[in-house]
Amino acid sequence: MIRILIVEDEEAIANLIRMNLGKAGYQCETVFDGEGAANRILEERFDLMLLDIMLPGLSGYEVLEYAKTMDIPVIFLTAMGETAQKVKGLRMGAEDYIAKPFDIGELLARVEAVLRRCRKTQEKIRFLDIEIDPDSRVVTKGGQEAELTPKEYDLLLLFVRNRNRALYRETIYENVWGGEYSGTGRTVDLHVQRLKKKLGLEEHIAAIYKVGYRLVIPS
Amino acid sequence: MRLSWKLFFTTIPVFVIFFTLFGCWIVEDSFQSSLNQEAEQCVIENQMFQNSYELTWNGLTEEQQEQTTAKMVVESFSRRQGSKKGKYRIYGEDGTVLYEDSPQTEISGSENRGGSEEIPGTELMGLLDQENNVGYEIVSRGSGRQLTVVSRSSFGIYFEITRDITDLFRNRDILYSRYRTGIFLVTVLAGGVMLLVIMLAMRNTGRLSRTVRRYAQGDYSARARIRSRDEIGRLAEDFNWMAGAMNRQMEQLKDQVRRQEAFTAAFAHELKTPLTSIIGYADTIRLVELTREETDQCAGYISSQGKRLQSLSYKLLELAMADKQEIDFHPIAVSQLLEEVGRILLPSLKKKKVRLELALEEGVIWGDRELLVSLFVNLGDNAGKAAPSGSSVRIEGQAFENGYRVFVEDHGRGVLPEELPRITEAFYMTDKSRSRKEGGAGLGLALCRKIVELHGAFWKFESEPGEGLRVTVWFGKTPDKRGGRPA
Repeated sequence: MIRILIVEDEEAIANLIRMNLGKAGYQCETVFDGEGAANRILEERFDLMLLDIMLPGLSGYEVLEYAKTMDIPVIFLTAMGETAQKVKGLRMGAEDYIAKPFDIGELLARVEAVLRRCRKTQEKIRFLDIEIDPDSRVVTKGGQEAELTPKEYDLLLLFVRNRNRALYRETIYENVWGGEYSGTGRTVDLHVQRLKKKLGLEEHIAAIYKVGYRLVIPS
Repeated sequence: MRLSWKLFFTTIPVFVIFFTLFGCWIVEDSFQSSLNQEAEQCVIENQMFQNSYELTWNGLTEEQQEQTTAKMVVESFSRRQGSKKGKYRIYGEDGTVLYEDSPQTEISGSENRGGSEEIPGTELMGLLDQENNVGYEIVSRGSGRQLTVVSRSSFGIYFEITRDITDLFRNRDILYSRYRTGIFLVTVLAGGVMLLVIMLAMRNTGRLSRTVRRYAQGDYSARARIRSRDEIGRLAEDFNWMAGAMNRQMEQLKDQVRRQEAFTAAFAHELKTPLTSIIGYADTIRLVELTREETDQCAGYISSQGKRLQSLSYKLLELAMADKQEIDFHPIAVSQLLEEVGRILLPSLKKKKVRLELALEEGVIWGDRELLVSLFVNLGDNAGKAAPSGSSVRIEGQAFENGYRVFVEDHGRGVLPEELPRITEAFYMTDKSRSRKEGGAGLGLALCRKIVELHGAFWKFESEPGEGLRVTVWFGKTPDKRGGRPA
């Protein structure tokens, strides 16, 4: 289980992130100041830190340094939009940044990207009776290997990484096929149907009216 | 350089012209008087001659007169005379020369003329009559000048004396030429000296000019280093002073710009944060599978953050308006004012179980009622939020000779010394999470500061961390005694 530490002094935003990341399958904890964060990473293992740069007390940059010493990748949240902040953070070793106000979907994508880059997603992904091995790209259902085309596999991964979150058809198309979604065409829908059939996910992949699809995995 | 040349070309020519005119006048004047003198003497000589002749002639009998020529008459008395200076001639009425002699002094130029000599006196003769019987004339003869005096005697003959006055003219010419040389030398010398002086003076203007240009091009530390005490030196001083004043002004303006930028940045930040929440939670509701409870939670956040934006915009409006609106200053009775403030604060204080203590001396503040209410409500509200439940907030007022002092005090957690100078900054909050939970935006004290400034009042913050905060404000009673802080 991937553990993410959210360091943010604005309670509303901390909760927002926690709720969404939690639904996407990550285990999240929130801390409201720099010292709390520094203490927490000493006490427990974390795979990723989301860090607000503007913190009371211990500054965000100092926490960033701590996290680096513990080998924890950091994505920091900036509010001012100042290039100086972004540059400093990146130079100090943060993996990525995202500026407020941000789209949660984008945050999820960056989290995923950083985790992938830092090889934290090595482990196999398991949900329901399905297991995915990202290394070998083998998918098994109920112990049996499932035959998926490359596109179906990518589609499955996309759903899994955004579990419980509705995905726009455009998003699905851009991520799996690349290029711009034309608005017409049934590629996405056909592939979703086939995926559902092959893995028996008819109950779990719901069509969302006017948006797209959502993989629902109860936590 | 133009001024130098202007100066030079106005002074030197003027000098030369006047010098020249003056010299001419003097030379001419002296020449004229010499000439007049010469003429007078010649006339006198003529008269003497005439008198001698007439005397002698009158001494002769008629018989002797017929036998005597003019020459004989002249010779008879000429021996008795001293040296004569002119050439003598005697004319008859018809113009014939009755007598002529050569003078003891040579007349220049007339020797070379051979034959015909003019009779200079002819014209004069014609002009003389019974009354104007003496006249003279100056004639050029060759390269010389002669003075001829003619007189008419009562028995019809004319006496003429001619003197050579070439020397007079020559002397005059010599004087002129000497004078010309003199003027030339003096002009050159004076001109040279003047030029030097002007150059020296102007050199400083050149320096000053260069300094000014350097400053204008951006070297704001450029100052004129001219040490002379004259007008240019003073101008340089003035420039330096002005440069200093402008630099200070620029610093002030830069400061203002910085403050403005800081405000805008803080404002943007304060805006983005609640917006992030609102948009984020709305998207979450839309896209994520949520339980009923989770949906309620999201909706709750949307609502509270929205209210926060509302309060922020309202506070900002107040802050902006405080500057612009028509400020209506009157003498305000303090007790009334603060009682009203107390009434406004009471409900929220009561809810928190915080007591309000009012101790107000009678007094008057010169100010705007609405703004003052706003000021004290803000201060009281802050105090109320900081005060722990069960404690009190105290508002005390004291009258002084030239003003009034109010303080608002709470026993909350206080403010750290390093934070104390910053609490009036826009959007600054010492305890962000608490402030935001209570809907604060960090603008209350910025607004208060503006109101205090508008009233020309002074205020001061004192705090012991852990023991509370006290805000003291000093007001003036009358417009000219605004903010009279007691010594």
